[in-house]
Amino acid sequence: MNPIITVQNLSKHFKIPRHQRGAFGALRNLFNRQFSLARAVDGVSFEIQSGALVGYIGPNGAGKSTTLKMLTGLLAPTHGQLCVNGYVPWRERRQYVGKIGAVFGQRTTLWWDLPVVESLTMLQHIYQISKNRFENNLYEFRKLLELDEFLDTPVRSLSLGQRMRADLCAALLHDPPLLFLDEPTIGLDVVAKERIRQFILHINQQHGTTIILTTHDLSDVEKLCERVMIIDKGRVLFDGDLNRLRQRFGGERQLQVDFAEAYPDLNQPGAKIVRQEGNRVTYQFDRRVVSASDLITRISSQYRILDLQVGDPAIEDTVRRIYEERLLEKVG
Amino acid sequence: MRQAFTLYLRLVSIRIRSQMQYRASFLLDVFSNAVVVGVSFLTLALVLQKFDGIGGWKLWEVAFLYGMVEIAFGLMDMVFSGFDPSFFGKRVRLGSFDQMLLKPVNIEIQVLSSEFVLRRLGRVLEGLIVLILAITNLDIQWTIVKGLYIPIVIGGMVCFFGGLFIVGATITFWTVESIEAINILTYGGNEMMAYPIHIYPDWLRRFFTFIVPGVFMNYYPALYILGKADPFHMPAFATWLAPFVGLATLAASLRFWRFGLAHYQSTGT
Amino acid sequence: MPAMHETVSPKYLALTRLAIQRQFTYRAATLAGLATNFFFGLLRAAVMIALFGARQQVAGMSLADAITYTGVSQACIAFLSLFSWFEIIYSVDSGQVGADLLKPMDYFLFWGAQDLGRALVNLALRGVTVMIFYAIVFDISYPASPGQWAAVLLSLGLAWLVSFSWRFLANLTAFWTPNSLGVCRLLYSLSWFMSGFMMPLRILPEWFARLCALTPFPSMINTPIEVYLGLVSGAQLGQALLTQAAWGLGLILLGKLALRSGVRRLVIQGG
Repeated sequence: MNPIITVQNLSKHFKIPRHQRGAFGALRNLFNRQFSLARAVDGVSFEIQSGALVGYIGPNGAGKSTTLKMLTGLLAPTHGQLCVNGYVPWRERRQYVGKIGAVFGQRTTLWWDLPVVESLTMLQHIYQISKNRFENNLYEFRKLLELDEFLDTPVRSLSLGQRMRADLCAALLHDPPLLFLDEPTIGLDVVAKERIRQFILHINQQHGTTIILTTHDLSDVEKLCERVMIIDKGRVLFDGDLNRLRQRFGGERQLQVDFAEAYPDLNQPGAKIVRQEGNRVTYQFDRRVVSASDLITRISSQYRILDLQVGDPAIEDTVRRIYEERLLEKVG
Repeated sequence: MRQAFTLYLRLVSIRIRSQMQYRASFLLDVFSNAVVVGVSFLTLALVLQKFDGIGGWKLWEVAFLYGMVEIAFGLMDMVFSGFDPSFFGKRVRLGSFDQMLLKPVNIEIQVLSSEFVLRRLGRVLEGLIVLILAITNLDIQWTIVKGLYIPIVIGGMVCFFGGLFIVGATITFWTVESIEAINILTYGGNEMMAYPIHIYPDWLRRFFTFIVPGVFMNYYPALYILGKADPFHMPAFATWLAPFVGLATLAASLRFWRFGLAHYQSTGT
Repeated sequence: MPAMHETVSPKYLALTRLAIQRQFTYRAATLAGLATNFFFGLLRAAVMIALFGARQQVAGMSLADAITYTGVSQACIAFLSLFSWFEIIYSVDSGQVGADLLKPMDYFLFWGAQDLGRALVNLALRGVTVMIFYAIVFDISYPASPGQWAAVLLSLGLAWLVSFSWRFLANLTAFWTPNSLGVCRLLYSLSWFMSGFMMPLRILPEWFARLCALTPFPSMINTPIEVYLGLVSGAQLGQALLTQAAWGLGLILLGKLALRSGVRRLVIQGG
C-alpha cells in the first residue's frame, strides 16, 4: 500500500544575517554581508501510511513547526523530496490544501469578528461541501465537541479551549483524509486536553483520517499515538512505535525536591540527579526499579524538605537521554 | 474565478453587515471620517478664496481636481483595505496570513476580502460633495464624452492607488518597520494630485510623470474637461492615459506581489 | 492638582526616561517618518510658493516665513503626536486602564511623563532633522536673538502642554462611550483645523483667525511658530505665551474634573 506521506531527505535551511562587530562592522556589513546557516530541518526522512496517528515531538526550536509548515505547503524546502496525498504541497497549493485539514494551536482558521457558525458556513462555500455532508458533519461535530454553547459567539470572545474545538470542527467539515495538528492541546487545562484527545482518537478510528500531531506534551503522545517521531535540532532521533519508546523510557519519572538547606550530598541510589538549581534538585528514576513513594520516604527521612513534585520527564530530558545512549534507530 | 468572486462578495457583505450592526456608532464613524478629511478642504477653500486661486487656477477648478481624487482615494481605501500595509503587515507578523495560504481559495481575493473599512465611505462622500459643488460653480462645456470620462478617471485612480497599496503590502513581507515610507506615494500622491501640478518644482513633477505617473490620473483629464491649456505641451493622447496608467499600475503591482509571495514561501519571514 | 513636590517625584522622571529609551528603539520607523516629513514639507512649501506668486508679503509674513512655517509644522507632527494619540482609549479597550488607575501615581502625570519623553526625543531627533533639511533646501527664517530662541523653547514647551492636555481630555471620552475612537478623531480634526497646522492662521480670512483664537488650538502650532518667526514680539510675545499657559492650565483643570467623574463612571459600570 502506498504511503500517504513520503518525505525524503527533507531540509530547510535559513540564512541568518550576522551582524559584524567592531568599529567598521556596520560598513563591512554593507559590503560583505555575512550569513550563518540555521538548519531548522536537516535531512529528515519518513513514510506515513494512510490512517496512521503519528506524534512528532521534540523540544522548542527542534524543527517541528518548520516540518509541519513544509508538509502543509506554507514553506518550500531547501532540499529533499516531499509528497503528500499525491501532491507536492507548496507547488500545488490550491488543490492540495482543499484536501487537508490543519489546526495551528496559536492561530485560528476562523474569522475573528464573525460568530462561529458564520465562519463554518463560509467554510462550506470555500471547500464546496455539499449541503448534506455539511449538515451531517456539523451535526456530528456539534455533539462530539459540544459546540452549541458558543456557536453564535464571535471567535474573538472564545476561550482557548472553545476556540480549539471550533477550529477542529472547521478543519474536518470537508472530510479531509489528512489532518495536521500543531500543538493542539497547548495552554489547555487537563479536562479540556482530555476532551480534545478523545475527539482526535474518534476521528482517526471512525473516519480513518491520517493524523500528524506535533506536541510538547508527552501525555498527548502516550494517549494517542501508536507511532512517535522525536526530532531535535532538525534531525529525527527516534522513529518507532510507542511501545518501543515506553520500553526504553516509559518507566522514567522525575522527582523535584526543594530542600530546606544546602545539604552536601544528595545522591540517592536508584535515582540520578539531572538538574540542580540552588536547593531545588530534580531526580530522575525508573519507577520499575524504585517507586516514587519509596524514594520520597527515603529522602524525607534523611533530609528536611520544603516541597516536592512528581512528574513525567520533560521532553528535553528524554531527548538528552537519547543522545546519551546514542539512540538513532528507525523502526519501519 | 467565479467561485472566488462569489466568495469575495460573501465575505465582504458579512464584514459590511457586522460594521453596520451598531447603527449610531457606524454613522458617527462615517461622519467623523468625512469631517477629518473635510477640514482639509475647508482650509484649502478658505486660503484659495483669500488668495484668489493658485497657479492661475481658481478655487472651484482646484476643487474639481480635489473632489475627483478624494472620491477615488476613499473608494480605494475601502475596497483595498485588506492590502493596507498597516493592516497587512500585522497579519503577516501575527501568522494569520498563513491561515489564508491554508485555504483553497485564490490568495489575492482572500486578502482583499480580509478587511473592508466601511467608515472610509466618509471620504467618498466628502469628495462627492466637493466635486458636485465644483461642477455647479464652474462653467463647463459639457459633452457626453466628458460626462462619461469622469467615472472612468475615478476608476483609473482607484486602480492606481490600489496598486500602490499592494506594493506597500508586498514590502511588508520583507520589513514592517519602514513601511510608513509608502505613505509618500499613497497619501503623498493623493495630496499632490489635489493641486494643479504645474505649481510643483520640476524634479517633483518629473518623478510623478515618469516614475509614479500620477500626473496623468486627474490633472490631464481635468485640463480636457475644464477646457484649459496644457502648460507642458504633452501630446494629445495624454488626456486619455488615465485608465491605462491605472490598470498598468495595478498589473505591475500584482507582479511584484507574486514575487513577494514566492519569497515569503521560501523564507517564511 | 498634584502637589508641586509630587510633580518632580523620581517615579515620573523614571517614566520619562523609559519613554525616551523606547523612542530610540524605533530607528527604522523614525527614518521612514522623516522621509514622509520631507516629502510633505516639500509639497506644502511648493503650494506656499505658488500661493504667494508675485507677492512679497502676506499679512506680515514673507515667503521665507511661510516656507519656514510649513517646515516647522512638519517638525511638530511627531513632537506633538498630531495625527493620532489614542493610548488611553486603547488601554480602556484592553482593560489595562484598571491596572494603571491602581498605580500609586497621578493618572495625568503618569501619561504626561511618558508623553513628555516621547515628545522630547521626537523634537530633538525628527524635529531638528526636518529643520536642517529645510535649511539646506530652502531659504528659511531664524530667530534673531538668543532671547528669541529662549522664547521659542518656552513656547514649544507650552505648546506641548496644551497639546497633551487636549489629547488627554479627548481620550477620556473612552470612559463614557464605546465610540470614543470616532469622537476622538472628530475632536482631533477640530484641533488640526483650528491650530494653524495646515496653513498659518494669518493668511486665512480674518474672521476665521479670530474664531480660532477663542480656542486652545492655535496655542499648539500657530503661536510657537509665530514666536519662532518673530511675528510676535515685545508685549504681544508676552501675551502669546501667557495665552498658551492659560489654556494649558485650563485644559489640565478640565482634565482633572473629567477624570474624576470618568473614573467614578468606570467603577460604577464595571468597565
